[in-house]
Amino acid sequence: MVRASVLERFAIAVASTLLALLLGAVIVAASGYDAVEFVTALVYGAFGTISNVAFTLRQTTMLLLTGVAVAIAFRAGVFNIGVQGQFVVGGFATVVTVLFLAPFLPTGVVGGVLLMLLGTAAAMLVGGAYAAIPGVMKAYADANEVITTIMLNFIASGVVFYLVDSHLRPEGASAPNTEQLPSYVDLPGFAFGSSSFSVIGLGVALLTAVVVAFVLGRTRYGYDLVTSGHQAAAAAYAGVDPKRTVVLTMTFSGMVAGLAGAMFAIMILGYYSDPSTFPRFGFDAIAVSLLAANNPLGVIPAALLFGGLDAGGQYIGFTLDVPRQLVDGVVGLVVLFVATPELFRMAGRRTGLGGDEE
Amino acid sequence: MSVTEYANPVRVTVGVGLLVLFVVGGVATLLDLPGAELLTVGAAQRALQAAIPIALAAIGGLYAEKSGVFNIGLEGFMIFGALAAAATASIASGEGAVTQAHLWLGILVAVLVCALLTVVYALLTIRYRADQIVAGLAVWFVALGFGPFTATVIWGGVSSPSLPNVDAITVPVLAEIPVLGRLVFDSSPLLWLTLFLTAAAWVVLYRTRYGYWVQAAGENPQALDTAGVSVNRVRYATVIFSGAMAGLGGAVLSIGIGSGFTGTGVTMVDGRGWIAIVAYLFGNYNPVGAFGAALLFGAMEMLQIQLQTIGIALPGSITELFPYVAVLVVLAAVGYTRMPAAVGEPYETEK
Repeated sequence: MVRASVLERFAIAVASTLLALLLGAVIVAASGYDAVEFVTALVYGAFGTISNVAFTLRQTTMLLLTGVAVAIAFRAGVFNIGVQGQFVVGGFATVVTVLFLAPFLPTGVVGGVLLMLLGTAAAMLVGGAYAAIPGVMKAYADANEVITTIMLNFIASGVVFYLVDSHLRPEGASAPNTEQLPSYVDLPGFAFGSSSFSVIGLGVALLTAVVVAFVLGRTRYGYDLVTSGHQAAAAAYAGVDPKRTVVLTMTFSGMVAGLAGAMFAIMILGYYSDPSTFPRFGFDAIAVSLLAANNPLGVIPAALLFGGLDAGGQYIGFTLDVPRQLVDGVVGLVVLFVATPELFRMAGRRTGLGGDEE
Repeated sequence: MSVTEYANPVRVTVGVGLLVLFVVGGVATLLDLPGAELLTVGAAQRALQAAIPIALAAIGGLYAEKSGVFNIGLEGFMIFGALAAAATASIASGEGAVTQAHLWLGILVAVLVCALLTVVYALLTIRYRADQIVAGLAVWFVALGFGPFTATVIWGGVSSPSLPNVDAITVPVLAEIPVLGRLVFDSSPLLWLTLFLTAAAWVVLYRTRYGYWVQAAGENPQALDTAGVSVNRVRYATVIFSGAMAGLGGAVLSIGIGSGFTGTGVTMVDGRGWIAIVAYLFGNYNPVGAFGAALLFGAMEMLQIQLQTIGIALPGSITELFPYVAVLVVLAAVGYTRMPAAVGEPYETEK
């Protein structure tokens, strides 16, 4: 995969997505639903109306941030499957920080901006620290990070639920929710008039992708990080400490995941709740990052595609009687096919559509 | 002799085990906990039962990894197994009463369905050289999506209605033996099946020619190839076996000891497939060791009931996390277990 051309990667990404969607449609038809209606509803749900577009962009914002977080680690040859957990603890840190500090700061725009900045900083700090745990375990105890990060996802979800449910739930409230954030702690919606999507949020996500692309592509630190992923021996001879790099990579990745958590808490939720009910952005992000060949800028179109799929899937769940989990399954199929470039290379050779330069 | 030279996996595992016992014992003494009430036959019974699905998936997974293929999709195959078993039992009964025969049919179908699904996974990872980690994760994601999807198509909701589970079998006379009688001779036949499969897996792996092929496929595929045995054929067999075992584990969860399929959250499998991977790592790829580790995690899972009986009422959302924390502790302690040399590398015959 390292030597594969950009064009080939693009072709594989497109082919994987189309094949997964096709399989999804076949499964829809096989379950006794109307496949054409399904596809039409998927597209309409994603881009049909202005509010559908706002929803797509909202999901895109989240998948862009979590996708970049995954990409940083994958780029360095580390599997951070724990983005979901880091996202959960990050968002929790934001809500706790904002709720705790709000009484001490002025209300209104100034206080709102200040609280959002402090809340976001807390999220990045906590997300980074949470991701450092599997990093340290991998570097110094050789513990497989795929398993440790998945365990930490379960632990994050359980502990945050416990804290929200038993300590932060207002007196007499029936649902395990924290108090609402103050109304001035919110990102304005601008053109879309949506209460849970803000152009500023999307802007932050796009800026993050560009900054991460710059750090990975143009700085010494990024060079060390990517080299240790692809050429571990060369990096070691060049004086890069592989253990330190693993910990730094995970921390960097977790900080971006924490930022995603802050965005989720401030832009979308406005309070905190049982994390097991949250969307699984951290898992879908793995598909986003793989589709983008782990390139932070490539994550932008990939996040838009999955944002659209997600929005379309939700719309389907509301309007047709096709269960929306189908879209989750299709995302899984995309991951499966992206992991198997050889399948498409072979198909390409057989059909004479290229891929024979190998 | 330095510490690192002295520490081999067996010594470390035994050491960690003793350390855990020592710490648990120490805490129990300090807090003046009634040890006798913690270590009851009932507690052992529950731990054994909770260990069955983990142990089954772990034994399958260790065969695959021993032969050189890391089947990280165990969790996904368990979800498919749990669903297939519940769906089969439910559909076979035709809206009527679900009988024991329907349940056993469900378990059988779950094994077959998962074996078939694993054929696809094996093709992708062995023939088409898919990245084993990413493909395994994909299996989980596919199962997290299509599992609840299929449940909705069948039952109209992500979970099945309540289903009965497999009856325990009581062996007359033998069940009268103190402790052992209640643990083994008055229990689910699936426990016997698990004990039998554990023993059989040990014998096959360490005492038969086929077992040596499996080990060679993971350690030195070139040598096995030179000896005239198809490396990939051995690997196909072990990977498909691992999927079938994970499917059996999932079926045990939903209708073997549980009461139907739950598709909410991360489904009823709830990380047990991942814990199974750690179980065989902790057991150093030895089926008997893997069963022991599964028992440890099963005990962790059931610790809440024990703590309640002695008056320590921790919230359920915290005690549910014990197995995951135990996995982290185990991985921190034995993370460096030596993997088979050729794990993760596709093998191609040189012509």
